Amino acid sequence: MEKSGSVDSLGSKRSSSRQPSVDSLSSTSTSRSDRSAQAKPPSAMSSDSVSTSAEFSPELRVKPKISAKAIRDSDKEELQLLPNETVQDMAQDVTYFCPFTGALRGTVTVTNYRLFFKSMDRDSTFMLDLPLGVVSRVERIGNASSRDVSYGLVCKDVRNLRFAHKQMEDTLRKSIFEVLMKFAFPVSNGLPIFAFEYGQVFPENGWKVYDALSEYKRQGIPNESWRITKVNDHYELCDTYPSTLAVPVNIPDEELKRVAAFRAKGRIPVLSWIHPESQATVTRCSQPMVGVNGKRSKEDEKYLQAIMDANAQSHKLFIFDARPSVNAAANKMKGGGYESEDAYQNAELVFLDIHNIHVMRESLRKLKEVVYPNIEDSHWLSNLESTHWLEHIKLILAGALRIADKVESGKTSVVVHCSDGWDRTAQLTSLSMLMLDGYYRTIRGFEVLLEKEWLSFGHRFQLRIGHGDKNHTDADRSPVFIQFIDCVWQLTRQFPAAFEFNEYFLVTILDHLYSCLFGTFLCNSEQQRLKEEIPKRTVSLWSYINSQLEDFTNPLYVNYSNHVLFPAVSLRHLELWVGYYIRWNPRMRPQEPIHQRYKELLAKRAELQKRVDELQREVANRSASSASERPGSPTRSITPVQTFV
Amino acid sequence: MEHIRLPKVENVKLLDRISHRRRRVGTLYLTATHTIFVESEAGVRNETWVLHSLVCSVDKLAATPSGCPLLIHCKNFQVLHFIISKEQECHDIHLSLQRLSQPESYDELYCFSYKPNVDEKERRQEWDFLDLKADYSRMGLPSSLWKLSPVNQHYKVSDTYPADLFVPESATPPVIVGSSKFRSRGRFPALSYYCKDNHAAICRSSQPLSGFSARCLEDEQMLEAILRSNPCSDFMYVVDTRPKLNAIANRAAGKGYENEDNYSNIKFQFVGIENIHVMRNSQQKMLEVCELRSPSMSDFLEGLESSGWLKHIKAVLDAGIFIAKAVAEEGVSVLVHCSDGWDRTSQVCSVACVLLDPYYRTLRGFMVLIEKDWVSFGHKFSHRCKHVVGDPKEVSPIIDQLLECVWQLMEQFPCAFEFNERFLITIHNHVYSCQFGNFIGNNQRERIELRVHERTHSLWSYLWANRTDYTNPLYRPNHSQTQGLLRASTSPYSFKFWKGLYNRFDHGMHPRQSVEDYLRAIQEETQQLEEQLSSHTQKISELEQEQECSDSCKAAAFDKSPTVWAPGNNLGLANTPQDYTGGFITGSPCQPKGPDSILLPKSMNQISDASFSNGSDQESGIADLSCRSPLSEDSTRDPDSDEAAYSAA
Repeated sequence: MEKSGSVDSLGSKRSSSRQPSVDSLSSTSTSRSDRSAQAKPPSAMSSDSVSTSAEFSPELRVKPKISAKAIRDSDKEELQLLPNETVQDMAQDVTYFCPFTGALRGTVTVTNYRLFFKSMDRDSTFMLDLPLGVVSRVERIGNASSRDVSYGLVCKDVRNLRFAHKQMEDTLRKSIFEVLMKFAFPVSNGLPIFAFEYGQVFPENGWKVYDALSEYKRQGIPNESWRITKVNDHYELCDTYPSTLAVPVNIPDEELKRVAAFRAKGRIPVLSWIHPESQATVTRCSQPMVGVNGKRSKEDEKYLQAIMDANAQSHKLFIFDARPSVNAAANKMKGGGYESEDAYQNAELVFLDIHNIHVMRESLRKLKEVVYPNIEDSHWLSNLESTHWLEHIKLILAGALRIADKVESGKTSVVVHCSDGWDRTAQLTSLSMLMLDGYYRTIRGFEVLLEKEWLSFGHRFQLRIGHGDKNHTDADRSPVFIQFIDCVWQLTRQFPAAFEFNEYFLVTILDHLYSCLFGTFLCNSEQQRLKEEIPKRTVSLWSYINSQLEDFTNPLYVNYSNHVLFPAVSLRHLELWVGYYIRWNPRMRPQEPIHQRYKELLAKRAELQKRVDELQREVANRSASSASERPGSPTRSITPVQTFV
Repeated sequence: MEHIRLPKVENVKLLDRISHRRRRVGTLYLTATHTIFVESEAGVRNETWVLHSLVCSVDKLAATPSGCPLLIHCKNFQVLHFIISKEQECHDIHLSLQRLSQPESYDELYCFSYKPNVDEKERRQEWDFLDLKADYSRMGLPSSLWKLSPVNQHYKVSDTYPADLFVPESATPPVIVGSSKFRSRGRFPALSYYCKDNHAAICRSSQPLSGFSARCLEDEQMLEAILRSNPCSDFMYVVDTRPKLNAIANRAAGKGYENEDNYSNIKFQFVGIENIHVMRNSQQKMLEVCELRSPSMSDFLEGLESSGWLKHIKAVLDAGIFIAKAVAEEGVSVLVHCSDGWDRTSQVCSVACVLLDPYYRTLRGFMVLIEKDWVSFGHKFSHRCKHVVGDPKEVSPIIDQLLECVWQLMEQFPCAFEFNERFLITIHNHVYSCQFGNFIGNNQRERIELRVHERTHSLWSYLWANRTDYTNPLYRPNHSQTQGLLRASTSPYSFKFWKGLYNRFDHGMHPRQSVEDYLRAIQEETQQLEEQLSSHTQKISELEQEQECSDSCKAAAFDKSPTVWAPGNNLGLANTPQDYTGGFITGSPCQPKGPDSILLPKSMNQISDASFSNGSDQESGIADLSCRSPLSEDSTRDPDSDEAAYSAA
């Protein structure tokens, strides 16, 4: 969120302030002038390998036209408040210690949504625009005796920011950072999260993107083997599950309740996805409550048999337990465990060795140390290796690949679970569905996928992210969702033409995961969201995204809807997502607007195609008019040509 | 040929490098020039050809119950793992190949027997394709400051230098000769690149024979002359590309580096690129990492790091950046040398040129660059690439490093290069293959003695003739960012592992889809559309005429119309999405060659490989974009599109 309109952007260049910041201080007049020549927002993020530090201030992105206009007028290069955003405090003479360019003095403004820092110190304007939702921790550094008070802001998006200002003479007056703390952690201070106040209206209502029934209908459910049940209509069967569930036809609701008793948190196996031809299914659940004594449940066994029987193509069922087998066994001590192959005939249990949320949190913490602020040149690869981040990514992708392969090539139904079935399970089912079903690789389809597999099935976003909560050491926080998006990014790298969305789309989702501007990622479950009236009281992230789709569209997209993607999960294919984790580093500047070039090439083709079509039509018309009386004319009606832009 | 003990072995197994369970059975043939493996599976005629000159090592491993393994490593990083059932046969093949892959004299090299169907006149023209003098005159030479010196005609002053060299106008022959006597192997300072905008120049030489205190007046005058040829600058850089310790060690042997006190107005700089032995070992270690069958993340990353390969690439690039900045930003001339001035010096000069001058980022320009800095200035290709049997300590992947530096730059600046990765890989292949005469021998004099230009073909015109294969669709010559000096980043995460080269033959490891192939298809299609456009325009005018005609003589015209329309019909059919590149004009819609076939990797057959369902070798990334027929019978959204494409796939 650091932005700097440097010298020339003060003048006339509209887009330069949309550019990634500090790097403009460093060098490259050539590249900069070029970039600022492209005024349109999509080009601001660009470039394929490196990209998108673009600009991450929602207000600019939400209202691109206004901001573009505003920035052209250098006097107005000021904070643009969002609807219902109010200034809470301002302070002059604050120093921001930028890790890349050194200390800068300027003004800090704190609103109920963001921190805004602006410095005119150097010959260029430097701005930093940080939604308070990104702040994970504020700490006062140094002792009270020194003349300067210094504050460190630890951010959820791998940054650490440091500010300092003079000791207050008026001891009664609070430091601006005390004010900031109040608004950065509204939940802890009894204040509403900003999403409830933000009143922007978008042309499209993102809350309508996902409708469980129509998504199941798209998949062909209900059919002869699967039915939609209303048993969880009031979240009585399972309070972390959605109200609409798809279950095997021959299991009555009463039995579902008995199955629920045997599954952790009542999360029974339910359908996530069904193969349109083979009827092989991906089902998800939580661990069975086997315990140390190896308890069994006849209903659960019958239920899994019913899932298997619903697929006539295979007489086997694969149960994928996402955990390492040791952890799964350890869970028996707590009453949980895994399915024994004795009890579940025809089922084969596979452990996928994916570690738990604590391991992942630690891994990301290490990664942050390695990439921010500065990168040690000499041991980059071994430092990266020591975080194990890519190793985890690999295991998740490999697990999802095995699931997709079983369903597609083996025509076998699979059951996926971990412990509670809301972290690793969500990663695995959604990634395998992404591989199996091209619909989810469109922008809207991806939104549906997130709404379904993550939000409705109760991935605990509130706890994992800790929206507005100052308790930064909470052991429930974990980057499970970030890992998933990272995996999606890895897929887009391997199949650059198979996804309708671009990298900027993924980065935007992650930015708003924290920003608390939209209601999408608030709360832990569908039930909570309903209770809090989230759809009524907040704006959906999809409203914003779907109102400017062009920014998020991959120009290379080809609709491979009927293809299954089998990625290579070899190490040589996995890369650190530099465009996300290292985007703050000015050394990682976008080198070339490669997206722009893609678009040009495609646009030229489309243009020619259009002209050819026109001429073709003309040829057809002319010949039709001259041959009107000839029946069965050989002229085939012109097939509309698919263009990809 | 007398070295072939056994021309043919049947029932040989070729193992897949990644998954040993995947194997092909066939017949192995040895010819005078190639090892050929022909798969004997019914219906498939799959042939693998390996040039003997590309074979780096042949190893016979201990016999196993299934047969005797023979491992062939190639210089282009292909690894073939054969299993020959009879040990004696394996032994014979092993001995034959060992001899065939290590020619004892230049005359055995493939280029002297390679005879494509080209007549002599054309063959001669091939060698005229590149003209270094034209490149110098492109730089604005000769000029009032630099002149072409005849001093090395007949290679009298330095036998490893080219005959034509540019030196400062004020450098007289006695100064040059005197300077050459003070330089290793007589490689006196000569011009490599001249920037006519600011008169800054890149010169190259070998190390001075300074020992601990020796001086040479002519050498000092020579550097003075170089400095004075740049009127805008009052000093020049002398860049010694070696690590300081190595340079100091050379002093004990009577060699060494320039003493700043003895030369007026020079700034001396070490840049610390390691020597050929370090590079050879480093690449060897990196290749071992590449060959790991299923490395863990730490095996791979730590192995890559400890090989030091990317660090060395960074060192070369850093040195190139230093020089390029000195020339472009400071306007200061630079003299570059290492020990002999034919390895690191060539690398660094070339990298600097690529960064400085957009011309060297074009297809032709890059060929000129290699011809100039490497071929003519005497990079010892035959020694470094082991074209003939020789000292293994002379072998080193110096040219590989240049190509990789350029590849790393292409990754950073995808629109700045006219050529693509395939171009670099092809050059790499032919540097080692000995199929063309360009890289035979160690210097210009040797090539003249071998009569290379009279007896062989040139790679450059071959590449040029096939340039459509090597063109980068993203290239934007007029774009401001691709102009002038490229400002490359050398942060560690900017250096990637070049799997396209080092794992070139492991198809399972390649990207599932290539953006580049896709864009190339689009460009081709754009071209076809342009043609189509004109053909339509023509058609319309024809129709107009026909209309007039039909007005007069009505019924007759219609019967003919189907033939008139035939091409148009094909177009209509061909325009279905699945084959939008395949057959626009010549349209055979049943054989789509469009993005589907391009984007679906060659290894489609692997999908059906049952082994994957066991999920046991995901390391190879076995599965590819697989396909499935349309969602359901009633999904009529794309009536025409899918079926053909998928069945074809």
